[in-house]
Amino acid sequence: MRRYLIRKVAIYALTFWVAVTVDWAIPRFMPGDPVDRLISRMQAQPSSEHALNSYYTNAFGFDVPLWKQYVNFWAALFHGDLGVSIANFPTPVWDLIRGALPYTLALLVPAIVLAFWAGNKVGAMAARRKALDNTVLPVGYLLTATPQMWLGMLLVFVFATTLAWLPVSGAYDLSLQPAWTLEFARSFLQHWILPFLALFLVAFGGWAIGMRNMIIYELEADYSNYLAALGAPTKLVRKYAYRNALLPQITGLALALGSVVAGAIVVEIVFSYPGLGTLILNSIENRDYFVLQGVFLFLIVGVLIANLIIDIAYVFIDPRTRIGMEGGA
Amino acid sequence: MLTRKRGGGAAAIAVALLVVIVASIGLSGAGASQRSAFALPRGQTLYMSGNQWSPNNDVNPAKNWDYVTGLVGFNYETAFRYDPMKGTFIPWLATSGKWTDKTTYVMNVRKNVKWTDGKTLTPADVAYSFKLAKIATHPQHPLWTDTGLQGVNAKGNQVIFKFAKSHSYQQFDYYRYMVAIVPQHVFQRWSKTELATANLNLTSGKIVGTGPYMYQSGYGASSETVTWKKNTNWWATKQLGIKVAPTYVVDISNSSNAAALGNFAAGNIDLFNNFAPKSAIRGQTKTYYSKAPWHLSANTVWLFPNTTQKPLNDAVFRRALATSIDISQILDKAYQGLAIKASPTGLLPIWNKYVDGQTVKKYGFSYSTPKAKQLLAAAGYKDTNGDGYVENKDGSAINLKIVCPNGWSDWMTAIQVIQSSAKAAGIHLTVGYPDYGTMADDRGHGRFDLLLGNDRQMSNSPWTYYQYIYQLPLSGNQTTANYERFTDNAAWKEVQQLDKTPTSDKSQYQAQLTVLQKTFLQKLPAIPLWYNGMWAMFNTKYWTNWPSSSQNKYTDVSWRNYWQMTSIDMLTHLKSAGS
Repeated sequence: MRRYLIRKVAIYALTFWVAVTVDWAIPRFMPGDPVDRLISRMQAQPSSEHALNSYYTNAFGFDVPLWKQYVNFWAALFHGDLGVSIANFPTPVWDLIRGALPYTLALLVPAIVLAFWAGNKVGAMAARRKALDNTVLPVGYLLTATPQMWLGMLLVFVFATTLAWLPVSGAYDLSLQPAWTLEFARSFLQHWILPFLALFLVAFGGWAIGMRNMIIYELEADYSNYLAALGAPTKLVRKYAYRNALLPQITGLALALGSVVAGAIVVEIVFSYPGLGTLILNSIENRDYFVLQGVFLFLIVGVLIANLIIDIAYVFIDPRTRIGMEGGA
Repeated sequence: MLTRKRGGGAAAIAVALLVVIVASIGLSGAGASQRSAFALPRGQTLYMSGNQWSPNNDVNPAKNWDYVTGLVGFNYETAFRYDPMKGTFIPWLATSGKWTDKTTYVMNVRKNVKWTDGKTLTPADVAYSFKLAKIATHPQHPLWTDTGLQGVNAKGNQVIFKFAKSHSYQQFDYYRYMVAIVPQHVFQRWSKTELATANLNLTSGKIVGTGPYMYQSGYGASSETVTWKKNTNWWATKQLGIKVAPTYVVDISNSSNAAALGNFAAGNIDLFNNFAPKSAIRGQTKTYYSKAPWHLSANTVWLFPNTTQKPLNDAVFRRALATSIDISQILDKAYQGLAIKASPTGLLPIWNKYVDGQTVKKYGFSYSTPKAKQLLAAAGYKDTNGDGYVENKDGSAINLKIVCPNGWSDWMTAIQVIQSSAKAAGIHLTVGYPDYGTMADDRGHGRFDLLLGNDRQMSNSPWTYYQYIYQLPLSGNQTTANYERFTDNAAWKEVQQLDKTPTSDKSQYQAQLTVLQKTFLQKLPAIPLWYNGMWAMFNTKYWTNWPSSSQNKYTDVSWRNYWQMTSIDMLTHLKSAGS
C-alpha cells in the first residue's frame, strides 16, 4: 500500500512539474511582448512610452533573466501567488479565478457526479431488458456523440428562445447582484439548469452505454452463470454484475475528467456563464497570458487531484488491488 | 448491501447539492460590496451593453481603456464636454475658459457643485486633477510633456494654465474634455503609483463624484453587471434644468457577441453597442439613421503599407494599389452596407467641413482598375515574365502579403477583396491571418508588407489622425502610431504646426489642414478604406426619443470617452415609453 502510494504520488509530482513548466513557458515564448500590447491598448503617446515600458516590464517581472523568472515563478507559486493580470493590471490572477470558480464548480461537480450516478443506473437497467435497451442505446449514442456546445445551443433555441421558459444566458438576472436572498437563489437556479443539462446529458449518454455493455459482459461471466445455476435471484446476480462493472467505469471517470472540464469551458462560453471558461475566452481575446497561465495551472492541479483521489479510492473499491498490494493471494 | 447501493445515489445527489450551495456562498463572498439583491423596476432602468469586455473591478478614472463603464461621464465629470457633430465645446464643470494671452489659459470653475459626499467642488480639485498627469506613468502624462504646459494653479474661482511660448492648442483641447475631475480630499490617500496604474479598489464602498449617477453595485472581478443610480442632487438639474431619464442604468459585461445579441433580441438590453448584422435591425429596433449606413462613423480603417521596402516605398505604387481596391465590394461583403467608404483624405465625416474639395479632386483617388494599371505602367512596373502580375522596376518579382488578425471575420473578408481587386490590376498579393499578438509584434517592428489598422477614434481634432500617420521620430517598436514607418520630416512639422494652431483661428486652421490633405494625398503613406460604424441599436419598448439623424444628434454609444462627448445628452433626452 505504501509503495503503491509513493509511486503514485511520485508520478503525480513529475506530471505536475512538467505541466507547470510548460504552463510557465507558453506565455513567455509566445510571439508578442505583453507590455507592448498593454501600451498599444492604452493608445499611449510615444512620449510616455519609455516610462510606461520600464514600469510595466518591472511590474511583470520581465526585467530579470529567464532562469530567474522561472525560479521566481515557483517561489511565488508556493506562496499561492499566480501573478498579475495584464489586461486588468494590477488585479491578481487569483482574484479573477476566485471570482469565476464558484460558477464553474456549480456546473461541473453536479454534472460529473449526477451523470456518473444516473448514467450507470440507467445503463445497468437497460442491459438485457429489450424495451429499455432499444431506447437507452440509441439515445445514449446520440447524446454522447453530441458536442456539449452544440447541445447547449440547441437547448437555448428550444427552451430559451422558442419556448421562453428559461433565460438565454448569464448566471443570474441582469437586475440582480449576488446575495443571500431567495430571489437571487431562484434566479441562479433558473440560469443554471440549461448549462447544467448540456454537460449532464452528454456525459450521461456515455456512462449509460458503457455500463450497459459492461453489465452484458458481466452477466455472461462464469460467476454470474454459476450464481444463477445455484438459484440466486436475478436481482442478486445483477447486483454483483453491477459492482464488477463499476470498476472500469471509475477508471473511465478519471480519464474523462479532463474532457468534462474542457466541455464545461465551451458550455460556459455558449451561455455567457461567468466561470473559468468565460474567463479563458476573455483572456484569449485580451491576450492576457498570465490569467490563462493561472487558470490552466488551476485546472491542471484540479484534474491531478481528482485523479489521485480516484486512484486512492480504487484501492478501497477493488479488493483485488488491495490484496495484490498487501501481498495476499 | 442494498441499502449501501441506495446510499450511493443519495450521496451523489447530496454532493451535487452541497457544491451548488458552497458555490453560492462563494458567490455572495465574491460580491462582498453588495448589500442585498434587488430587482430593478424595468420601466425605470436602462440596460446597455457593448463597452465592458474586462472585469468590472477598475474604478481608476485615469485608465480610460479599462475602467467600469460610466465611471467618467456618470460619476466623474470633465471640465468641458465636446460635441463632435457641432464641433463645439460644452461648458461642464467649467462654465467657460479662454486664452487670456498667448501663454495663459484660464478656466472658470462652476460654483455650487457638490461631490456626492457633500463637499463642494473647488478650483483646487480641478487643478489637482490636471496635475495628476504629471506622474510619468499616468496615461495622460503627454499633457505635460507634449503640449508645452508648464503649470496649473487654482486662483479664486479660476484655474490658470501656464504654457511655454510655443505650445499646442489641439492636444490641450483634447485634454480639456478627457481629464476627469476628481476629489482631491478622497484621492490624496493614494500613492502616485496607485493613482497612475492601480484599480483604486472600493475600500469605502463608495466612489465620490459630481455626475448624474452614483455607483450602486456590481464592483467585482466576476460581476456581470454594474448598476448606477440617479444622483438626485446633480448640479445640472438646478443649474441647467436637465436631468437624466433612467433612474437606474445597468451596464452588462460582454463575453461573446452572440450571447449579447441573444439578450438584445430577448428585449433585455435597451442600448446595444456591439457590432450586429443588419438583420438585427427590425421591429422595435431603431438606429441613428433609418436607412443605410444605419450607424454613425466612429473611426477610419486604414491600409498600412510598409514604406521602408520596395515597391511600397514608391508613392506611385501605393497610389496604384489604392486605386485598385474596390471598397464598395468590401462594404457589401463584410458589412452588408452597415459602413461607408472613407474619404480619400481619411478624415471622418464629422470633419467633412475641413475637407478641401479642390485638393481631393486634384490629388484624390478612386477605384478604377484601368487607372491602376496605367499608373503602374507609367511608373515602370511591367509584367515582364507574362504571369499576369507586374514586376519591380528591376525585374524582380513582387509578392506582398496582406495580413489581419485571425478571427476578425469582417477584416478577413476585406483583405480577400483587396487581394482580388489588386490581382485585377496586376498586383500580386497573398493574404495571411496571424494571431493578434504576432500581428501586433510584427507591426511594431516593421516586419510586414501590408496590414489594416483603425486605432484612432472620433475626437476634437484631425490632429489625432495626422499624428497617427506621421508621428516621428521612429523607434524600434512603433506601438501606437506611424505603423507604416514613413519618414517625412516636412509633413511631421506640418502636423506639429497644426497642433499649435488654435481652432478659433479659422483661416489659419483651415489653411493648415488643406496643406496636410495635399501632403497626404500626394504621397499616400497610408490608404484610407472605410469608416467603422459607431455601432448602436436601440430597443424602443421601454425607452424612446433616442438619438437620430433628424433630432437629438448625439453620440449614441456607451463606449469609454464618448460619455464626455454627447452620449450623456442621449440619457437626458430619453423618454420612458410608459409615460
